[in-house]
Amino acid sequence: MWLVIALALAFLYVPLVPSLVASLAGARPGEWTLRWYGELWRTPLVLSAFRSSALVALLVGILAPLLGLLAALAIRELRVPRLILLAMLMPLFIPGVSMGLASAFLFRLLGIAPSLTTIVIVQTLWALPFATLIILTAMTTFDPQYLEAAYMAGAGRWRAFRDIELPLIASGITGAVSFSAILSINETIRTSAVQGPWNTVPTYIWSTYRQVGLSPVLYALMGLIIITTIVIVLAYLLLSRQASRR
Amino acid sequence: MSSRPHHSRLTQAADRFQAWGRRILLSLPLIFVAIFLVVPLGLTVMISFWERAGLKFRPAFSLASYVSLIGGARLEVLRRSLVVALEATALSLVLAYAIAYFLARKVEPATARIVLVLFTIPFLINYIVRNVSYTVLLGRTGVVNTALMSAGITDAPLDWLLYSDFAVLLGLISAYMPFMIFPLFLSIGAIDRQFIEASALLGASPFTTFRTITLPLSLPGVFAAGLFGLVGCLGESAVPIILGGVGYELIGNTITSSMDVLNYPLAAALSSIVILLMLLLMLGWYLVFDMRSFLGRILEWRA
Repeated sequence: MWLVIALALAFLYVPLVPSLVASLAGARPGEWTLRWYGELWRTPLVLSAFRSSALVALLVGILAPLLGLLAALAIRELRVPRLILLAMLMPLFIPGVSMGLASAFLFRLLGIAPSLTTIVIVQTLWALPFATLIILTAMTTFDPQYLEAAYMAGAGRWRAFRDIELPLIASGITGAVSFSAILSINETIRTSAVQGPWNTVPTYIWSTYRQVGLSPVLYALMGLIIITTIVIVLAYLLLSRQASRR
Repeated sequence: MSSRPHHSRLTQAADRFQAWGRRILLSLPLIFVAIFLVVPLGLTVMISFWERAGLKFRPAFSLASYVSLIGGARLEVLRRSLVVALEATALSLVLAYAIAYFLARKVEPATARIVLVLFTIPFLINYIVRNVSYTVLLGRTGVVNTALMSAGITDAPLDWLLYSDFAVLLGLISAYMPFMIFPLFLSIGAIDRQFIEASALLGASPFTTFRTITLPLSLPGVFAAGLFGLVGCLGESAVPIILGGVGYELIGNTITSSMDVLNYPLAAALSSIVILLMLLLMLGWYLVFDMRSFLGRILEWRA
């Protein structure tokens, strides 16, 4: 059975390799160079896509887990838990292109011009189900009796939450933050519907691929996305390792 | 809740204010989704009835978009998309279930977690990267063909590896199978071991135990995974374009190509049909399966 898993993993990771390899290829076969990565810094369009992606990922990495946390608390406390859960999971059931289209309709109707804000909204919607589920899962290991104890000791609800619950579900929150950031960095189809002239790195790759085709510089960009994603995952794993040691 | 001493009117009012404030705060996610998802979906349905006027579109009540769907090629595309999506989802389910079962029942939790993380990464990586790499791998001069030919297994490059149903299926499965492992893992892991032990004690063979105990109890996860896979495959527009080649039409890229020619009412109509289908399935999931098993312990705490 491990063989099957190893094969499946190999099968999934192999496609990541050609892009990385191609991004390092020099003029002659067998030659390696970082030149293409350097080229990225010299292309203004790419640089602005970097800026947009970074800013949007930051905002989504804050907004989605925040809403996810509120949603998880709401599921626990409000009277309509299943409705809230279903609402949070809805973005998973809407095909990406349709979600982008629908959001574009809304913004156009409200007269909201495409901007980084519209991109943040769409990506937050996409990350919301994941953030909610991750935090919800972290909460399953948390016993509300601790909260009860805090209330009896005289703490208000906010105090009890902040001092007792928050540290214990911290791993869930960091997980939700990492996941949302990664989803944001890689999100393409929904973003491209509401971006207007603002490109993120993936939408830049997509439009360049469709208009011009592949090139080593594009491979370098793809390689950067792969590397950034893996770095964030590793950072999260390291952080949670440290936390559980304490 | 802890008992409190009797408070003055002012503190009671403050308590109530705080309680309401909290309720509003906790409703924010719901409001967010309502405004930015539910309303746009309603708009999509509404716009699907609008007319096309040159490069723009204007309010009307016309079934023109839907009519153009029924007669002809687009209906075929919808049918083809459903078939392909079902095939991809079914195959992914089988593989994901096997892996999830193994990880949940036969592997230590710590190792299982690491393997699960390994499976999430490819899912997260931008799909353009993935699919473009497949073209490199599966092309006539690609890695797979070169390897096969140099090993002497084939004489000529295999044509059907790329720009075919096979390639599209491959792209879809590699996209969604990894993430489908999660709900299955959770579902299978949640089955009380005592049921399985009892079944074995009563003399049932492992296969019978699986068939009568494990499989039925893991159905919520199966449905969730299947639903996720189906939605994903139906919504895919990059895979058919990159791996299917020119002219390979699935619903996803039909929608994007109608957006490209600014025929938004048509795009809205296509979207509405797919969304309706998905929401019906989601409703079915909600009604058929007890959400309690999904929400688990969290619902137990509700006072």
